[in-house]
Amino acid sequence: MVLVLALGWAGPALAAPPGAHLLPPDQGLAPRLRRPDATRLQELRNQREFQYEEPRAQPGQSAWEVYKEKVWRAILRWLSSRSYNHFWRWVFYALFLVAGVFVVLKLMQINLTAVFSRTPRRVALAYDTASENIHEVDFATRLAEAEAAGNLRLAVRLGYLRLLKALSDGGLIQWQPDKTNHAYLAELPPSGLREEFREITRQFEFVWYGEIALSGKLYERVRADHQAFHGQVAGRVRRAA
Amino acid sequence: MENDLPDNASGSTPTDHSVPYAPAVPAHGGPANQASPDAGASPLPVAPEALPVAPEAATESAFAPRTNFARLTAQTDAIRQEIGKIIVGQTDLLELLLTALLADGHVLLEGVPGVAKTLMAKLLARTLAVPFSRIQFTPDLMPSDVLGTSVFRQNKADFEFRPGPVFASVVLIDEINRAPAKTQSALFEVMEERTVTQDGTTYPMAEPFLVLATQNPVEQEGTYRLPEAQLDRFLFKLHVGYPSLAEEIRILNGHHAGLGSTNLDTVQPILSAPDLHSLRQQVRQQRVEANVLEYIAKLVGQTRAHKSLYLGASPRASLALLNGAKALAALRGRDFVTPEDVQFLAPSVLRHRIMLTPEREMEGGTPDEVVKQIMQTIEVPR
Repeated sequence: MVLVLALGWAGPALAAPPGAHLLPPDQGLAPRLRRPDATRLQELRNQREFQYEEPRAQPGQSAWEVYKEKVWRAILRWLSSRSYNHFWRWVFYALFLVAGVFVVLKLMQINLTAVFSRTPRRVALAYDTASENIHEVDFATRLAEAEAAGNLRLAVRLGYLRLLKALSDGGLIQWQPDKTNHAYLAELPPSGLREEFREITRQFEFVWYGEIALSGKLYERVRADHQAFHGQVAGRVRRAA
Repeated sequence: MENDLPDNASGSTPTDHSVPYAPAVPAHGGPANQASPDAGASPLPVAPEALPVAPEAATESAFAPRTNFARLTAQTDAIRQEIGKIIVGQTDLLELLLTALLADGHVLLEGVPGVAKTLMAKLLARTLAVPFSRIQFTPDLMPSDVLGTSVFRQNKADFEFRPGPVFASVVLIDEINRAPAKTQSALFEVMEERTVTQDGTTYPMAEPFLVLATQNPVEQEGTYRLPEAQLDRFLFKLHVGYPSLAEEIRILNGHHAGLGSTNLDTVQPILSAPDLHSLRQQVRQQRVEANVLEYIAKLVGQTRAHKSLYLGASPRASLALLNGAKALAALRGRDFVTPEDVQFLAPSVLRHRIMLTPEREMEGGTPDEVVKQIMQTIEVPR
C-alpha cells in the first residue's frame, strides 16, 4: 500500500498496473507534528522520578562495590552533564591554576598576603645584637692584660665571666646570653656555693653596674674570692665526675 | 598580677633580687652601711677607702649603696604595711605601683571586674597626704567634665575658670575605657605636660601629679580602646590578676571577721608632697652604667624591627624604662640600675606601647610574649 502510494506520488511517468483502482490524492492539510517544549522536557529528564534506569547489582557484588559503582556512575553522569561542561569545568581549571600558583609562591617563599595587610614598619637596627661568647674568650690573657693596664673594673668583669664559664662548663648553670646574674644564681642548688656566688655577684654588680671606685687592695680581695670560688667549682665538678 | 618575667628569671622574685643587698639596707631606717651620714639629702659618692674603718669593714662598706635609702625604705615599707591592712597579696603589683610613684609616672591598671584594681588605687592614694579626686568615666562624659570649664559671671561680665576634678595630685580615673576617645584625648596635655589649657590660658598642675586609671579588658562590653597616644603616656600598664587560693581564703577570712565591711579609714597617710619630692630627687640621681643604657635602647629599638609588631615603642618608652628601673633599684636598696631591673619592668613598660600585626593577633599572640622574645635576643650587658 505504501509502495502504491509512493508510486502514485511519483507522478504519471509510472504507469499503474492494469485493473488497479487508484485512490485520489490526499487533498487535506499535512498533519502538524507536535513537539514538547525542550526546556520543560529537559527539566523532566533531570527529575529523579523520571530516571527509570537504575544500576543493577551484578550477582556476587558486595554492598560496598554496589555503592562504589553508584558513586562512579553519578560522577560520570555529572561530568557529562551540561552544567559541568558549561560552568564547573572552568571552576575546576581556575582552582587548579590557583593551587599551582600557591605552590610555586610557597616554594619561592614569596608572601603575597602582605600586599593585602598592614605590614610591620621595620626599621633597620643601627647596632649588632650578636652576643659575646664566654666560651671563646681567653680569660687568662685578657685578665693579665687588664691587671697590667690597671683596669681593675674590667678585671673584675673578666673574673666574673670566667666564673660563669666555669659554672657553665661544670653543668651547674645553663649559659644563655640573655640571662641575668640572678637567673644564674637561682639555677645553683641551695648550698654554700650559692651563697658565695651571691656575694661575688653582689661585688661584681657594685663594681660593674655601680661603678664604685676600686682600689688595688679591694681588687685583691675580690680576686681572692674569685679564685676561691673557682677552686670550689672545680672541686665540685671533679667530685661529681 | 601578671608581670611575666623571662624564663631565665623564673624563681627569682623581686624579693629575691633584693637579697644580695639586704645587709646593706636597713629595713626601717638606720644608718647601717651608709657611705656618708648625710648622704640622704644629697648623695655624694665617697671613696670607701677614705673612711677610717678597719680593713674588713672597709670591704663591706665598699660594696654598699653610696646613697642613704633609709628614709625611702622606711616610708615605702610603711606604705606597704598600710595597704596590707586591706589588700591581701598583690605584692608585685604594689612594688610596681611604688616604682611608678617614685618614677613620677602614671599607671594603667587592667583586670577583670572584682580584682581590687580600684581599691588598690584608692588605698595608694590614701597613703599620700595630697589632694585626691576620683572620676568615674562614662560614655557620656565630656572633656569639660574632666578638665573644667569657663563660666560667665554676670556681675563681673567676664568668664571664670572652674577647675575640673583633674586638678588634684592623685587622680583616680575609674573605668577609663568606658569614655569615648574624645574624652580620653582631653587627658593628653595634662598627663604629659602637667598643664591644662583652657580659653588660651594654661594652668599648671601641682606636684605631685599622678593618674591612676583602671580599665576592664577591651573584650568586655561597652568599652572603647584607648588611643595609642594616651597609652604611651602611662608609665606602666599593670595586669591585675586573680589571687591565689591561699590569698582568696585570707580575703574571705578577713571579710568574715570584719562582718563584710572594709574600713578604709584604717589606712593612714604616709607621704606628704615634699616627702615624695625629696624621694624622687633621690631616685633621679641613681647611677646607670653606659652598657645598661645601651641595653635599654636596644630592647626598645628591637620593638621597631620585630616581625610580629606593626608599631614599636617610642623613645618615651626608653625614658620610661630608664626612670622605672632607677626607681625600682632604689626600692631594692641599690643606688645603681642592673639589667635585672630593666628585664623586670620591660613587660609593664612596653606591653601597651607596641601593636601586634593582625596576623600575630590572629595567631593568639600577646605583647608580653613578644617582649619576652625580644629580651631573649639581646645579650645582658656584663
